[in-house]
Amino acid sequence: MNTFTRLIGTAAVALALGSGAAKAADLSFMSFTYAEEANKAIVQGVLDNFQKAEKLTVEPLGFAWGDMQKNIFLRARSKTLPDIAQLSERWLPTFASLDNLVDLNTVYGKDKLEAAFAPDALAMGNINGKQLALPLLSGSIGMVANREVLTKAGINDAPKTVDDFKKALVAVRDKVPNSVPYSMATKNNGSILIDFMVWNWVHGGRIIDDAGKVVVDSRQSRDALGFMVGLLKDRLAAPEIDRPDSRRLLAQGASAFYLDAPQTRTFLRDFSGKGQAFDANVLPMPTPVLKAGDKPVSVQWGHLLVQFAAGGKAKADDPADKFLTYIISDKVQTDLPLKMSALPVTKSARAAVADDAYLKNWSAATGDARRNEVGIWSNAADLTNIIGEEVQGALLGQKSADDAIKSMQARLTTSMEKAKKSE
Amino acid sequence: MAVIENNVGAYPVSPHANRGGLKAGQNRIGLLLLLPAAVAFAAVILYPFLSALGLSLFEYTVEMMEPRFIGFENFYKIASDPDVWAAFWTTAIYVALTTTGTLAAGLGWALIMNQPFAGRAVLRSMSLLPWVLPSTVSAFIWGWIFNSRYGVLNAFLMELGLIDYPQAWLSTPEGAMLAVVLTKIWLSIPLFMSFFLAGLQNLDKEQIDAARVDGAGNWAVLRDHILPHLRPVLMIVVVLGVIGNLQQFDTIYALTGGGPVRATTVLSVEVYRRAFEQWDIGFASAVGVLWVAALLPPAFLYLRMLVKGN
Repeated sequence: MNTFTRLIGTAAVALALGSGAAKAADLSFMSFTYAEEANKAIVQGVLDNFQKAEKLTVEPLGFAWGDMQKNIFLRARSKTLPDIAQLSERWLPTFASLDNLVDLNTVYGKDKLEAAFAPDALAMGNINGKQLALPLLSGSIGMVANREVLTKAGINDAPKTVDDFKKALVAVRDKVPNSVPYSMATKNNGSILIDFMVWNWVHGGRIIDDAGKVVVDSRQSRDALGFMVGLLKDRLAAPEIDRPDSRRLLAQGASAFYLDAPQTRTFLRDFSGKGQAFDANVLPMPTPVLKAGDKPVSVQWGHLLVQFAAGGKAKADDPADKFLTYIISDKVQTDLPLKMSALPVTKSARAAVADDAYLKNWSAATGDARRNEVGIWSNAADLTNIIGEEVQGALLGQKSADDAIKSMQARLTTSMEKAKKSE
Repeated sequence: MAVIENNVGAYPVSPHANRGGLKAGQNRIGLLLLLPAAVAFAAVILYPFLSALGLSLFEYTVEMMEPRFIGFENFYKIASDPDVWAAFWTTAIYVALTTTGTLAAGLGWALIMNQPFAGRAVLRSMSLLPWVLPSTVSAFIWGWIFNSRYGVLNAFLMELGLIDYPQAWLSTPEGAMLAVVLTKIWLSIPLFMSFFLAGLQNLDKEQIDAARVDGAGNWAVLRDHILPHLRPVLMIVVVLGVIGNLQQFDTIYALTGGGPVRATTVLSVEVYRRAFEQWDIGFASAVGVLWVAALLPPAFLYLRMLVKGN
């Protein structure tokens, strides 16, 4: 019995020491950027500088982008949420109902936040009047090309219309061996959604209207999906391509075009192995339009920071809020977004980096970005799966574009019955 | 006799001695030894299972902070959900193909490894390699073999002039199913081979020699002597194979993610997708309960064989 008591005692001491170690940091920060090889050092630099400035330590928790949502979901269920978490802007409506999500208006004051942040950036974290997230980076998802590949294919100017675009793709296919002319996302529902949404907009279609009515069963949407299916049939796009594959293909000179956010430049520097020398090949361009004179489309994009605290209550001098304050300071905002090739989110930082040529070109090329029409709904994850499955079914020839659109309409309509919109 | 009894009674008895005697002491030690496994089972399997059983009667989505009791509504929804039925059908195909394939390949390889030849010991050791590798690593290796752009399979077939362009094997329902089945067969051959090899080494060699003297060929020896001898092993291997393949998740998810579309979405992947892609824990738990129900018949068969001493 004595041995048993000793064992229990040892276990209790070990547990106490373990929990002590787990609580050694002043706050925890869950981040997908921290899990990206190309960006980890940038985030670590921010954490180190914060520690020097505030004498507070941060425990970084890196999870791949694709695993972030389920980790937050599981941690919410097991009540082990981090203090701060990084989200893609389209995930926020899904988590908006978590009761320990802090309304940051109550911490910093609505007026102060509105004074500090660019309105388009701040709006990404606002849901029904509550500021449930602060923006970290912003920008848009638009088309990017590899200038070197275009030259090899004899293309001097970026294609402006869909017809020009197809001609350019054919030229790349015929003149650049073993290439995927357009690295369209054909794998991973989250990635497929963006490509379909963009081409659907290009063809004048919508998936869900502002009132929440599913309107994808239209001639425009059929044309858009038919266009995507045609690209695959003509070997102008390829199966088994996800966004990370697209980045690698473009970086290795094996692809001419794909859709991504401005931070593509950082990934391309890393994946090409050439660093900043590769920048000359990165060409942001307006997404081709259906007919000359149409307005090019792009999707609003950004990274957000959310705070979790018991009962959703926090104060500005809490370690987590000091960290948020630090992240949005000019010192960080004029550095971190640029290193990640994205736009800062505060007015002062945007003014300070207004002369950055790459970001200027990106903004000029992508124009006014539209809000992700699926990501604003509370059932965005389900909608994304439905759209991804139906589009993939058509792309891989398992069903016709018409049938895929009809089925998409029916399934999305059922899913939208319980959906809530974030405005 | 009375003297002896008196002497025994005079021996001092330890104050720690228990009334139950040696048998009871052994039982207590047995229970104590069982305790760690029982605690681990209760914590890792029983509690999550009972939780899932309970949650299958609740609505519990990402938008809800607390689950809401809805009785058997999740099960009614499953009855009319074609995706879940498709997952059952896909599971049946996957289990049938992997179990049959592994059985044939494992037996064939065991027969070869049972023959005397130079380097047999090395080859036997190397045969265990797929078993040693983590299954996700194996899935990625096979993923590269089937990769449409850089895959060895495409390179090989193009070298032979059998195809003009690289084929996207994992993008067709048949190709993706074939890939996940082949991967699982490759992973399971060592285990099945070990079972069969152990069985073959108990086979009376004189019986085989006598059959050959009587004019039996290879097929006759296999059919009339080896397979009847291996029957108990075969039964166990089939049941274990079915259970293992019904539970399979990691290789399928790592290789195809259940796609393309839903072509390789077996029940385990369906549960995962419902829970972590659609955030519907109640519905996922209900599918999980049905998945466990599908596992019960082979598990019952297996336990029955163990109890009967097969």
